[in-house]
Amino acid sequence: MAILTVEDLYKSYRKGFIPRQQTVLNGVNFTLQPGTITGFLGANGAGKTTTMKCVLGLAQFHQGKVSFFEGQPLNQEVKNRIGFLPERPYFYEYLTGEEFLKFYGQLSLKMTRFDLQQRITNLLELVGLTEARHRRLRAYSKGMLQKIGFAQALVHRPDLVILDEPVSGLDPDGRMAIAELIKQVASEGAAVFFSSHLMHDTEKLCQNLIILRSGKVMYEGAMDLFLEKMGISIEIIYFENNQKKSLREDNIDSAQRKIKILMGQGASILEVRQNRKSLEEAFVQTALRGSAA
Amino acid sequence: MKSIGIIALNTYREIIRDRILYGILVFAILLIGLSMALGQLSFAEQARITASFGMTGIQIGAAIVSIFLGSTLVTKEIEKKTIMTLLVRPVSRTQFLLGKSLGLIFVQVTVMGILMSVLLGIFKFMGVLIEPQAFVAIYGIFLESLVLLGVTLFFSIFATSMMVVAFALGVFLIGHWIDSLNYFVKKGQSEWIKEATQFILKATPNLERFNWRNLMIYSDPISSKMLIQASLYAMVWFVFLVALAGFIFRRRDFV
Repeated sequence: MAILTVEDLYKSYRKGFIPRQQTVLNGVNFTLQPGTITGFLGANGAGKTTTMKCVLGLAQFHQGKVSFFEGQPLNQEVKNRIGFLPERPYFYEYLTGEEFLKFYGQLSLKMTRFDLQQRITNLLELVGLTEARHRRLRAYSKGMLQKIGFAQALVHRPDLVILDEPVSGLDPDGRMAIAELIKQVASEGAAVFFSSHLMHDTEKLCQNLIILRSGKVMYEGAMDLFLEKMGISIEIIYFENNQKKSLREDNIDSAQRKIKILMGQGASILEVRQNRKSLEEAFVQTALRGSAA
Repeated sequence: MKSIGIIALNTYREIIRDRILYGILVFAILLIGLSMALGQLSFAEQARITASFGMTGIQIGAAIVSIFLGSTLVTKEIEKKTIMTLLVRPVSRTQFLLGKSLGLIFVQVTVMGILMSVLLGIFKFMGVLIEPQAFVAIYGIFLESLVLLGVTLFFSIFATSMMVVAFALGVFLIGHWIDSLNYFVKKGQSEWIKEATQFILKATPNLERFNWRNLMIYSDPISSKMLIQASLYAMVWFVFLVALAGFIFRRRDFV
């Protein structure tokens, strides 16, 4: 069962003093399955946030189709099953953490007051903000705001969670906490779809990947498959001038040539190993240089 | 309906917890207090002067709430992007606008209730008889603030906060001078200017229709027909402006 299906999405904006049509999405297609974590990658301006906004009805697309939960269009019932955390969220700073979650919970749910209170207590515990529940959001740190924002997206137990740059600007502790929460939400059956510029975190977290370049999907599929397709790299570890060094080559021929040069320079080769490319290398190759995966 | 109520309550809480509201309240109370001092200047017309200035204080306070707080009602949500987390919930854009307006109307009722209590306290202190016309005059100010809120909400859909304030102040001034402006337009020479000005005047609500302060000051009788007509006039303007705002808002992209 597809949680979200995006077909042939086109979107353009009129920008500038003398308005000019600028195409942002150029036929975007992808599908999300339940219980999966999908990373949405692309360079700045590739169209990630615009895609999310079109999916969520915050921006209107000119052409294409977006359907949820086996073919339903975006309606009030569907919205009740979606959680969203925007990039760099500024929340209602005059509310306390608990009031904030209650406000969003009341908007989405047909829960009893008692059930909602239970859910809020559980969520605050899950994101580690129980102590700060009666503090106003203006007194929250950036990491705390991100966590309460994440809790806001989950308060109504959504089946699809869309997160725009959920870990940007967070310290390693905060990033790890959010990553754990994402894993937990997916393990409960929801599909998590998030955009990020942090390749290391995405590589560790996602099973699936969608890479966008100039408003077009360059890759959609499993992370492992993508990294395999992008080929291998050969790492040469050598000892030169009393220092241990390493370098990477894309193929065996160039690695052999490099080894000959190094040996000619008097370096000692300590180890030669075959590595799969990191997501960062593969991403640069696909999204920035444009080689198809 | 439930989501309108929840958004209204949140808007009410937002404004009540904002220091700006207390600044406006203090300013309006000082204006009302000033009416007492000004009343002392006259021996015979003390009560009338106090009543007139006191009501002006309430009117200015109510107009500031509608224009200045109303101007940030939607624009702040858009600038801070909080609107994005709201509109992805089962909340339509029209429900969002209605919830925000209703929240500000609650605030307006609270503010006017406080200011009216202050004025009535002053009347009692001065031994002035409180007649029903006083409440009618207050109701007129409320209707005016409702129309101003509609105007502010309409402009805030596509303009920045500063521009909204400028436009709404313009409507406030033209709306009170509409009869004088009409008189001058009729005396004018250029047909083109006459037509353009007439169009602007027709597209602007006549706020003098809600000015019943003189009824209170001179203890004139109140006609129920006048009350009903003015109430309908205010409601039609408010509904028209909110519906127009909703129509434009439905097509807006949040980038």
